Amino acid sequence: VSVTETGPFLRRNMPKYLCLQRNLPGGQAHGDKPSPAQMQAMYTKFNEWREKFQNNLVDLGGKLGAGRLAAPEPPPDGPLIEVKELVGGYMIVSAASREDAIQVARECPGLVRPGSGVEVIEIHAPG
Amino acid sequence: MTSRLGENFFRHEYGRLVSMLVRRVGLRHLETVEDAVQAALLAAVESWPRSAIPENPSAWLYRVAHNHVAGELRRQIRHGELAEQHARAALDSTNDAPGGLLAGDVRDDLLRMLFASCDDAIPIESQLVLALKTLCGFDVREIAERLFTTEANVYKRLGRARARLREAPLELVDLTNEQLASRLAAVQAILYSLFTEGYLSSHAEGAIRRELCDAARRLAAVLAEHPLGATPETFALLALMHLHCARMPARQDGSGGLLLLEEQNRSLWDQEAIQIGLRWLARAAEGDVFSRYHAEAGIAAEHCLAPSFSETRWDRIVECYALLERLAPSALHMLNRAVAVAEWRGPSYGLAVIEGLEPPSWLLGSYLWSAVLADLHRRCGHAELAAQYRDAALRSAPCQAVRTTLERRLRAR
Repeated sequence: VSVTETGPFLRRNMPKYLCLQRNLPGGQAHGDKPSPAQMQAMYTKFNEWREKFQNNLVDLGGKLGAGRLAAPEPPPDGPLIEVKELVGGYMIVSAASREDAIQVARECPGLVRPGSGVEVIEIHAPG
Repeated sequence: MTSRLGENFFRHEYGRLVSMLVRRVGLRHLETVEDAVQAALLAAVESWPRSAIPENPSAWLYRVAHNHVAGELRRQIRHGELAEQHARAALDSTNDAPGGLLAGDVRDDLLRMLFASCDDAIPIESQLVLALKTLCGFDVREIAERLFTTEANVYKRLGRARARLREAPLELVDLTNEQLASRLAAVQAILYSLFTEGYLSSHAEGAIRRELCDAARRLAAVLAEHPLGATPETFALLALMHLHCARMPARQDGSGGLLLLEEQNRSLWDQEAIQIGLRWLARAAEGDVFSRYHAEAGIAAEHCLAPSFSETRWDRIVECYALLERLAPSALHMLNRAVAVAEWRGPSYGLAVIEGLEPPSWLLGSYLWSAVLADLHRRCGHAELAAQYRDAALRSAPCQAVRTTLERRLRAR
């Protein structure tokens, strides 16, 4: 990894954003399986996106599995379970503004499409 | 990044992995294997760009796909869907280390899968679809698009093939060399139809046609390298594939329109492919076999070697078509001979070849039949007949590119 004059500086000073992939109603969450040729195209597009935003991508994250809430009281049934199922994956990006962060997420292949959206949340870390 | 993996990496890996795993767990688990391979490729798409491409991508994929197969077979046993003794051997057999597999073994696996597809109890159109799906890595939608048929039809053909493979008493590993040898002609036939589906297709997009041709050529090359498949017929098949592919770059004009042979810019022909084709043809000539592939490769070679349309050795081409008719009788070959005779001795001699021929309905209804008759009658000065056939040809043209070419060719000059 080459360290440029501006790269680390920008990165250290730019706010970070947590991007949560959320499954939206109305889309096919488990749609048609992609063919090998389509997978090749997905792979290529993802690499191009990663290359383009290499200075913004702090943590490419990954898929999220089933979670469980640890709480002083047993959680009530209902809404919490739904929330858990709505989040499919996460990543952390750095950007000058939330709009820029949204742009990074929006251009990520397959993230923002019918049935899937992304929630971009600023991380307020001390220091 | 992606260039390191090669242009059709995912499609080729699909065929390779399906063949390797089916060889180990048996044909009856074909669908389980295909699902596992799909999952492994998808896992690669998701994880490789995040970390790095593994040192040995193929071994990585094999391991992931194998784990999926093993997991699914265990699940089927737990749920009572599968008798344990059927899966036990399958599970044990997948324990071999993928890193230790030699390139030769992989080629062997691909070929065995291909031979298994060519079961004569499976209709040939189902064999073709099965090969495209399992060995070439096309999905149902892509196959439908390439074969000009519906997805429902592809599913139907695929279902027929799979039903047969499920009940087939023989596992792939059990096919003896004699049994493999007895299927060789069927294997050559399937590669030939895979190629012609691509080459003769009137699909507007050249890249799509090219893909089918390349898939056929790739499998034929694997076949030719194997002792079981290294026969004069296979060499002739490879020769005709290369000689036809060599001329593909010149078949279309800049805007996707089709060009007639006499209009093509011969300097665009791929000289390297022609040389490779001629070398295969020379190998095919060793021995005393003369198959339909030899005749077709011979015709293609004459075209490739002719410096111009008018300098083509039409007498040689007529001779090859006559041989082809004898080896594989078809009204289409007779029609082609008529065209060659017309170039060699004149249009009335061409008409004489097909005089009295009652073409089968599939040919009668195709634009080829009408177009050839329109052209020959026009050149003989039979204006009325020419116009009739011309209208019929334009009506039955499968796409605009063909229609435009016909209009240009059949215009009275």
